Amino acid sequence: MKCWPMRDVAVISVGYTRVSEHWEKSLKGLFVEASLKALESAGLSATSLDGMYVASALSGYIQGQTNLANVLADSLGLYNKFAISIDAGGASGALAIYEAYRDVAYGMRDVVLVCGVEKMSEASPQEIVSALTSVEDQEQFRYTGVTVHSLAALVYKTYLRRYGAKQEDVALMSVIDHEHALTCSHAQYPFRLSIEAIMGSAFLAEPIRVLEAPSSGDGAAAIIMCSHDKAKELGLPHVRVLASEMAQDRFNLMEREDLLAMRALVEASRRAYEKANIKPSDLSFAELYDDYSVMGVIALEKLGLCGPGEGTKLLKSGEVTLKGSMPVNTFGGLKARGAPLGAVGVYQAAEAFLQLTNNAGPNQVKNARIGLTHTSCGFNSLVVINLFEACC
Amino acid sequence: MATSAYWRTRLHRYRLIGNKCAKCGKVFFPPRLVCSYCGSAKLEECKLPERGKLVEYTVVHSAPKGYDAVVPYVVGMVELENGVRVVAQITDVDVDEVKEGMEVELTIRRLPEELEGGMICYTYKFRPVIR
Repeated sequence: MKCWPMRDVAVISVGYTRVSEHWEKSLKGLFVEASLKALESAGLSATSLDGMYVASALSGYIQGQTNLANVLADSLGLYNKFAISIDAGGASGALAIYEAYRDVAYGMRDVVLVCGVEKMSEASPQEIVSALTSVEDQEQFRYTGVTVHSLAALVYKTYLRRYGAKQEDVALMSVIDHEHALTCSHAQYPFRLSIEAIMGSAFLAEPIRVLEAPSSGDGAAAIIMCSHDKAKELGLPHVRVLASEMAQDRFNLMEREDLLAMRALVEASRRAYEKANIKPSDLSFAELYDDYSVMGVIALEKLGLCGPGEGTKLLKSGEVTLKGSMPVNTFGGLKARGAPLGAVGVYQAAEAFLQLTNNAGPNQVKNARIGLTHTSCGFNSLVVINLFEACC
Repeated sequence: MATSAYWRTRLHRYRLIGNKCAKCGKVFFPPRLVCSYCGSAKLEECKLPERGKLVEYTVVHSAPKGYDAVVPYVVGMVELENGVRVVAQITDVDVDEVKEGMEVELTIRRLPEELEGGMICYTYKFRPVIR
């Protein structure tokens, strides 16, 4: 594959709904709204697309809707094109971008829509625990009482013990997310959250507090990708995709030699940095997959933004806030922007687009040049790292 | 889960049987089809030790349907005597008395959920060793 000539790939537009409980909107409705926004903002129609990737993690489980791409292509009036569903838990959205990037880079396709969509409000809280646990190996975990929250709690306690970290410091991740969401119009929870409120909230699985993890949200985010040359021809503001890399780890946490190693995260980010020929310190901002506060802290370390065990120190330094030198989760991250599971990676890409085209409003990172998105599922068992660069 | 799918997993669920890679010796639970360390597909059934120690644990408060009636319950990571780690519920002990490093042993217990048609389900759990 390496001997093939590659084209530079651009993102030319984005569209998204607010993350919320959209009682009045269906899975289709959310998908169409985000997709049309992206098309309109690029001045394109569905007929000008070569096709689309749809990312969704739970619609087969919650809505019972399989064959998703086919159904949604029809709802958008997209015929005689390609339409492919991508399902990889929380990593679905970023993995769809990974595919579209290769399509365009290798000249297979010219203009591709990527839309992530999830509608979680149609499941009860108990069903959501089951739905989230459905991304784990069912042969292993069905009929045991082991939940995804309980696995996260084991990782969390291992982290606290190894580094002598305090939970109050790890939970700062959620505080920062909420701070950044205050001025984010598409955030699910645009309000301040204090450490006291987090530590006083109920447990999911000890020590994890309810307010250290996202809750259910509905939402869709779409981006349009094409060759860099095409973007210039269209005369649209755009960003360049510098790299899109993925890696996998042993799925079963118990088979990993170290719960905190997160080998796939280390490997995917190493490959992405190498491909883009940059160092972690070259990043202007990073969007982390903080499905639990501790996972955000671990990501800071594994991405090379700080040393092992120094994640909480970095959070406390203030450098990861919008005013700092390495802002993370610039629109609220999973916790406060919200986490419609399969759509997360596309929301992150859309947010990177806003930052790098200088359209992030009050959330703008000054002189943003390069942004990283980290999207994963199953405790970084599958990780996608996407890197975007400003083009002006 | 279909009754047949559940039945297929009876050896690991009811007898703590995993498997061992014939090439590199790595032991897996639940059993694997291909060794995740050396890639060999030659794995042999292997009964795991029924004792071990609790390495790390959590108390579950938010649980799926069926289990929401039995919260809080303890889930722990147990390191068996041969070094293999298993995640399972820890039972027969007050939540406040669970401690890392505690010696535990296998027990098979009924679950608060049933298969379609009312078939009763059991799972492996661990309980403190009584001396």
